[in-house]
Amino acid sequence: MSNMLSTASRATKYEVTPFSRTQASNQAQTGKLLLTLPLGKRPPLRIIVDKRNLLANLLLAGLLMVLTGVSLATGSAATLSGPAMLGALLGHGSALDIFVVHELRLPRVVAGLVTGGAFALAGCLMQTVARNRLATPGIVGLDNGATAFAVASVVGTGISLAPPAMALTGAAVAAALTFGLTGSIGVRGYRFLVAGIGVGAVFGAITQLMLTRVSIDAANAAYPWTVGSLNARPAHAVSILSLALLPALLAAIRLTRSLTVMRLSDTVAISLGVSASRCRLMALSVAVILTGLAVAVAGPVGMVALIGPEFARQISTRNTVPVVGATLAGAIVMLAADLLGRVILAPIEVPVGIVTALIGSPLLLWILLNPNARTTP
Amino acid sequence: MASFINRHADSRVMRSLRACRWSDASPSPVVTWGLLMILLAAIALLSLLFGAGDVGPGRAWQALSDFDAAAMHDSEAHFVIGELRLPRLGIGLVVGIALGIAGALLQAVTRNPLAEPGLLGVSAGSAFAVTLAILWGADAATLRISVAQLGALGGCLCVLAAARLQGIGNDPVRLILAGAILSGLLHSLSSLILLFDQYTADEIRFWVVGSLAGRDATDLMPLAPSLALAALLTVILARPLAALALGEHVAIGLGHHPRMVRLLVIVVVALLVGGATAIAGPVAFVGLVVPFAARALAGPDIRRTLWFCLPLGPIVVVSADIVSRLVVPPSELPIGVITALIGAPVLIAVVRRRRLPML
Repeated sequence: MSNMLSTASRATKYEVTPFSRTQASNQAQTGKLLLTLPLGKRPPLRIIVDKRNLLANLLLAGLLMVLTGVSLATGSAATLSGPAMLGALLGHGSALDIFVVHELRLPRVVAGLVTGGAFALAGCLMQTVARNRLATPGIVGLDNGATAFAVASVVGTGISLAPPAMALTGAAVAAALTFGLTGSIGVRGYRFLVAGIGVGAVFGAITQLMLTRVSIDAANAAYPWTVGSLNARPAHAVSILSLALLPALLAAIRLTRSLTVMRLSDTVAISLGVSASRCRLMALSVAVILTGLAVAVAGPVGMVALIGPEFARQISTRNTVPVVGATLAGAIVMLAADLLGRVILAPIEVPVGIVTALIGSPLLLWILLNPNARTTP
Repeated sequence: MASFINRHADSRVMRSLRACRWSDASPSPVVTWGLLMILLAAIALLSLLFGAGDVGPGRAWQALSDFDAAAMHDSEAHFVIGELRLPRLGIGLVVGIALGIAGALLQAVTRNPLAEPGLLGVSAGSAFAVTLAILWGADAATLRISVAQLGALGGCLCVLAAARLQGIGNDPVRLILAGAILSGLLHSLSSLILLFDQYTADEIRFWVVGSLAGRDATDLMPLAPSLALAALLTVILARPLAALALGEHVAIGLGHHPRMVRLLVIVVVALLVGGATAIAGPVAFVGLVVPFAARALAGPDIRRTLWFCLPLGPIVVVSADIVSRLVVPPSELPIGVITALIGAPVLIAVVRRRRLPML
């Protein structure tokens, strides 16, 4: 491993050095790596990286690339071979192949990548803040709130606001309601989640109410938002989400240290110098923004927010919050579920929301009912 | 001895008389119950008068006041009231009673104020069973009812199994979460089936959201035997359940068999919820709101709670049905939407309490 990294570092001008000679043996035990980025005249940027987490993230990234390739190559129109797909992606090959890859599959794959990453990152942040593996945005009612507002913007009379803005508002309203209503009992434990289910039920009912009110055309236009699907998603919503995902990920990485401490009690976190309320507010805002924008693209595919972080946690070390890993894993889960949904009942396409619900619900039940399972992330 | 009994009886009579005085702050349960019955009658009348169609309240009132004559000079109103609104009212009454009683029983047996057939996955179980049955070609209403009841039984057993698990039984809120997740799973399985079977989808689309519209009075007939059985069992089970509320040991000491009682209650709940679901589709939150209100009015005793569920269930369902007709005329809303809008705030209110009451 270290061999491989050092050759890689030479190629990319990254310098891998141990902390010091005396700490060399220590480093082997802790499994840490010090990356030093030379920045010209300024002092070099030093980052301590956990070896296992780095390996896990590289593994996830590799898996994601493979899955992206398979998603681009597979489909009902034409199944391409690997080289043919790559060629079509770069603009070579038959016109049909290029059309299929560029116009049909690429937007869909990109939508899947960004929504999966956004949902899973939001889930990871919210689970950590609530100190509960089950506290994903979907269960707490954010998905339903965002959906209700997005549907309102589609079927709304006259005023056609952009779905992303409305979905964002909806997610924020739902989050404010859930967290506001549970203010007295706190976010710990399960009651908070049941209050979230109640809030979600209200927004779900409002969505149905709007769908029954309007003409059949408007209802059909709004329908994909209610099940969660990657089919023919609005391009501008995808680009807005892509623009938001990178800063959100950077903010989450910046928050990682505080969040790691926040997994302990508030008292411990504060005594270690973390501003608990500020950290919580930041993490929640990022989660709300990501969920709202992702719902505006793909509808309520909330289970990704549970499966992605769970997957990432399994392969990372226990002593950190795997924000990058969760993002990658969420994208993997989303793409895999979409691929499964396209392939499994071939002429018919199963919406990705149903596939993830079928995978995620048993996992949720297992976490909830297994007496030995840890409930904190 | 006899004098003692007489004295005892005397004091009870006196107490109830004292409770009946008008000056008393809270009226006696009997008076409250009577008032609720009057309210139910008024709501039933309203449900006959108001509708989404052309027959307005005035016309409906005229037709109602002389129903036989209306057949001659206002046949439209006669038809609308006799053939559309009256069956709908009947179904609303039956569904309301069934769901209210089922909710109260399920809450008593799980000792959980949040236990609601819809939240715990019982309704979803029966809806899934009906979806499967329609997929495999079942058409007759009778078959649909028994299938729905079997599905509800499956859902109930899942819930009870989960409740008996270590650590879950003590925490009412976790049980509700498990039920909600189970419902979600069954819903997505149902939608998967609907997706690749267009015929089933058409058959079931309006049924699955919960609605009282378009049901025939004849749909109620096949339901009668199972409802009668459920009513009989409820009457028998009320006393043992009241004893169980004092704790398992007390109930055993009083000569009851807790396991047997629990099993029978589950059967009753499955019969009631399955029947209601087969007619009206899954109508969520009624089983939460009704026992909640009944306990608030009648106190913790399950026997009284059940009595109060009798008028309260239909009051909730029929008035939700009236609202669903009036909100967006000329079209109608599914009743499940209205009950969710009423019920979810109640759920949040119960959860928000600092200490969850154990039943």
